[in-house]
Amino acid sequence: MEKILRSEEMAEIILLPVRHHSPACAFHVSRVIESIRPSVILVEGPEPANSLMEVMTHKDTEAPFAIYYSYHDQSGRISEEKERYKCYYPFLDYSPELAALREGKRLGIKAAFIDLPYGDILAASNEGSGLLNRDAEKNNYNDDHYLSQNEYLRQLCERTGLRSFDEFWEKYFELNGLHQEDGIWFSNLLTYCSLARENSKEEELKAEGCLARERYMAERIAEYAKAAAPDKDTILVITGGFHTPALKALLTGGDAGEKQGQMPEGDTGRKESILPPQDAGEEKQGQASEEDTGRKDSLPSSQDLGERHREGKIPEKDQGVYLMPYSMEAADALNGYASGMPFPGFYQKIWENLRETETPYSDVVLDMIVASGKETRRKEGYLSTYDEICACAMAGGLAQLRGKQEPGAYELLDAVLSSFVKGEYNLASDTPMRILRKRMTGRSVGKLCAQADVPPIIHDFETECRKFKLKTVSTLESESTLSIFSNKKHRQESMFFHRMGFLDTAFARKIKGPNLQLKRDKNLMREIWKYKWNAQVNSALIDVSVYGATIEEAASGLVKEKLLKDMGAKEGAVLLTHVFEMGLTGQLQSVYDRVHELILQDTDFYSLAEALRTLMMMEELGELYESRMEFGSLIHIGCRKLIGLLPSMTRIKDEDLGSCMTALKLLYQITGRNSQEQSGQGKYAQERESYYDALVRMNEDGQIHAGLNGCIHGILYGSGRETASEVEMVCRGYLMGTGEQLFKTAQFFKGVFFTARDLVFIGEEFLKMLDTFFGQVSAEEFMELLPELRMAFTYFTPRETDKIAAMAAGLHGTKQEDIRKREVIMPDWYSYGAEIDGYVKEKMAAQDR
Amino acid sequence: MEKTLLKPPVEVRYQGELEALKGTDTGCRPENWQMSPRAVRTFILGSPKPVVYEGKEYIIEKKYFGNDALVERCIVTLAGNRGLMLVGEPGTAKTMLSELLSAAISGVSTNTIQGTAGTTEDMIKYSWNYALLLAKGPSREALVPAPLYIGMEKGILTRFEEITRTPAEIQDSLISVLSDKVLNVPELGDNGFLFAKAGFNVIGTANTRDKGVNEMSSALKRRFNFETVMPVREAAMEKMIILNEVNKLAEESHIQVQADEDVAEILASTYHELREGVSSYGHRIDKPSAVMSTAEAVSVYYQAMITGYYYGDSHIDMDCLVQNLVGAVSKENKDDLEKVKAYFNTVIKDKSDKEGGLWKKYYEARKWLR
Repeated sequence: MEKILRSEEMAEIILLPVRHHSPACAFHVSRVIESIRPSVILVEGPEPANSLMEVMTHKDTEAPFAIYYSYHDQSGRISEEKERYKCYYPFLDYSPELAALREGKRLGIKAAFIDLPYGDILAASNEGSGLLNRDAEKNNYNDDHYLSQNEYLRQLCERTGLRSFDEFWEKYFELNGLHQEDGIWFSNLLTYCSLARENSKEEELKAEGCLARERYMAERIAEYAKAAAPDKDTILVITGGFHTPALKALLTGGDAGEKQGQMPEGDTGRKESILPPQDAGEEKQGQASEEDTGRKDSLPSSQDLGERHREGKIPEKDQGVYLMPYSMEAADALNGYASGMPFPGFYQKIWENLRETETPYSDVVLDMIVASGKETRRKEGYLSTYDEICACAMAGGLAQLRGKQEPGAYELLDAVLSSFVKGEYNLASDTPMRILRKRMTGRSVGKLCAQADVPPIIHDFETECRKFKLKTVSTLESESTLSIFSNKKHRQESMFFHRMGFLDTAFARKIKGPNLQLKRDKNLMREIWKYKWNAQVNSALIDVSVYGATIEEAASGLVKEKLLKDMGAKEGAVLLTHVFEMGLTGQLQSVYDRVHELILQDTDFYSLAEALRTLMMMEELGELYESRMEFGSLIHIGCRKLIGLLPSMTRIKDEDLGSCMTALKLLYQITGRNSQEQSGQGKYAQERESYYDALVRMNEDGQIHAGLNGCIHGILYGSGRETASEVEMVCRGYLMGTGEQLFKTAQFFKGVFFTARDLVFIGEEFLKMLDTFFGQVSAEEFMELLPELRMAFTYFTPRETDKIAAMAAGLHGTKQEDIRKREVIMPDWYSYGAEIDGYVKEKMAAQDR
Repeated sequence: MEKTLLKPPVEVRYQGELEALKGTDTGCRPENWQMSPRAVRTFILGSPKPVVYEGKEYIIEKKYFGNDALVERCIVTLAGNRGLMLVGEPGTAKTMLSELLSAAISGVSTNTIQGTAGTTEDMIKYSWNYALLLAKGPSREALVPAPLYIGMEKGILTRFEEITRTPAEIQDSLISVLSDKVLNVPELGDNGFLFAKAGFNVIGTANTRDKGVNEMSSALKRRFNFETVMPVREAAMEKMIILNEVNKLAEESHIQVQADEDVAEILASTYHELREGVSSYGHRIDKPSAVMSTAEAVSVYYQAMITGYYYGDSHIDMDCLVQNLVGAVSKENKDDLEKVKAYFNTVIKDKSDKEGGLWKKYYEARKWLR
């Protein structure tokens, strides 16, 4: 605990360092509040969240929940792209911040958040660092990396023989620190934090907006301190331990500031820096007393930190702040969100047991071992109670060996690994570990009280649901059948479902109906949806509320964002299908333009072909979906581009054969179709020519893939550019080829059958060749080729295969029926055979004697 | 003249360290253990501070690299009721770990059953001195104890090497001994019960490449805690192990050469990348089917070093290193050599272009890959 003693102007300030999400810390914090009864509790967290305080501490609100901050950079202060940003500030029952707020409410103490608003933090951060890190999947406001990643810590872990910061923390602050006195515990933490701070780089802190935040917090603290009664009030400030030394330096103007909180004047390029090391107190005061109007305006320092931008205040309408239910899975640092300590489920149990027993850890470890043992037994069946006893003994023994008062999370993991996993530890044998990890993560989901404010998008969601008479009260899954093409209202409902799906809300899923992304079931006229509402749907909606105030807006916003991302023509076309389904007519043009651009840029043959296939499909369905979009020119461009790429596609891999053949067929269709239509006469004629030329050129490559070769010959035969006997020639070439080439015959057939299966029926030649082929390969080789051949024959209809069978039978002088029919073997034949056998055996035995 | 041993047992090699740790050990120790679990940990994982014992300073070096938590689990397992089974790829120092553990805990690492396809039950439990058996009938004097018997009688650890190489029915002779801690010698009548003394336990090692040769029965598996020893995952650590081990070997054979760090780094990164299938530059590499263990890397280095010592100028010749590498990889499958060749032609080529120096020489030595 860092105390800043009361002065004439200011009340006493106590700075309490904490680590986000720590049972021991929450425990000590509650005890401190209970004992010193401060007049105000100030908590690290963006200020706009003050309005949520009531709901956060409401008795019906259950952790885990998170404060969701969003910011839409409409004024372009962060970057020219004017993007949307969001971050989370998760709270668990054992988060010291929440424990403090709850304790404050219980004791009737006023509490407030004191950090910069989210938008300002972004403005104070450099591109790519801190909360402005776009690569992070989810940005967390209370990231722990200041404490958990530094050179000092690395050495510390090496010295103490501990694996990571989290184990270090558990050993010294949770296990061994739980029963310590509050003062000692906090001073230990402060020592650690100061060391961590000294080992962090000043530039990084600045780039991440950390310094700006500290400055702002210090100002707010001083304001509160001055507003309170100097002689008797106490202000308790709860912030991440990493900030405490800097805050102290800022508040006292002590020389610690030189090293830690440091704000050299040149730093901001501003004339008057607040709180310069020496006479910060007075100058600060002067400012505050003079400028009572709008506190943000009085604090130029918080705004003009970055050199590049950020004049003035961030408009409030661009910022959103809401509470949303959170899940343990999302809170688990192991899931990559780095929100603090791992294993939230485990520590939640510790927190619940903390006041109940003297040995919370041993009890929880035992519980977890028994529970995972039981589940493993149910799933795998081999585990015995003795294994559980051994695991318990192992956890206890390890704790002793490692000098911990009780076994903790790491001993639990080690114990289960050692005693439950039989045999080599690998994917097949790690079930017990997976079960345990899941339990340690926990599965509870938070809940908000009824008064919780929600973003407009949720209201919109509710309105839409009412409009379509969807049941959102029941947690049972309901079904909805929609005739999307005949009923306008149904189409709208389908659009709503698609939008919800696109926003990743897990509200509804389509179980039947046309799937444009996979190009399946296009003939279906109806869609069947299953939908179910639960709290996570709302969380997901809050999560996307930054994109807009209504479902439609949010979907459009997300589409716009996706458009900016790097993608290929194929992905672009898929996005177009989404827009189609969602009925976002306003977005169609921009997506269309982007696809146009992508088709021009993309040089990947398969991606282009796939995109083209999608576009063809959309053209077909355009009328049904009432898009009124003209895809002709796009298809034309894509087609030309594909033909241009064709000659390089000869030496493909086996696994690409299917898609390559489909692409060839597709090109055949495209170049062929308009020449048949009167209107497009001649438009594709030129393409058709160059298509055939490209095919001929491809065939000239001696190393061409056999399957592709067959496919091309099939097309050329179909177009009349080659005669059947020419194709036969090539085929014979493979047949008479040496070893490897002979094997390729099967692939060649596959290719030919794909595009020109009628070749088989025009004469006997082809079948004869096939017959020779089967005669030439050995039984073993035949088995090897069988899958390939089976594939080749799937292109025939059943009637055709029958016909082939009959022809093949004819080649060998039998009839099809003769092959099918087998003579019945009479039972007495068998007994006759057995008799002969016995007789022969007898004779032979007699001879031996 | 004093005869030098080719490879002295662990308890002889680290005699000083063991005595110092024993002498200064204050922790409580399980019955019949030579030292407390914490001292065992220090012996294997080293300590930053030297141990002062009888006026002498002993530096306890780290002997096992890779996974400290695993060592701790092993120690706790051995203090408990179950045997310890170390499984893993060949060359991951399973045997070394089991030797270190038994030397520290029981003071001997030589009470060992060496599992082979020909191992029989009397090599594990006991056999008879037939002359005495005929002369005196079945008696304790006529009984020749085997490692399991000795371990139970003295209360020390019995090591069972390569347990999966022995036939399943022989392995199973351990089952009842491990759970009941008693061995019955029916020939000795009522006196034939040997109850295990405190301190007895079994450390087995098994090679995962042999899996399926003689799979352990689940009854036997239940009596062991399994620890999977993984290959070292960091190239830097692998380099350190190579340097350590090679220097130790050199010292034992009285070769006055120090291992070269740069060469060790090249070798470590080669082995590391071929094992992981991806290079430090991000190339995707075909993995050879041969075992690319750290132990193999050590032996490749050491051979190149001896060659340099006796035939050259004490420096490691890259040609020689590559020649030895060929011998090490092309054991099982001729395709492996092709994979190593391809590795040289892509990864090593790029590294030689970028880093130059030794890498360049290493790349030039690729002509020996044949």
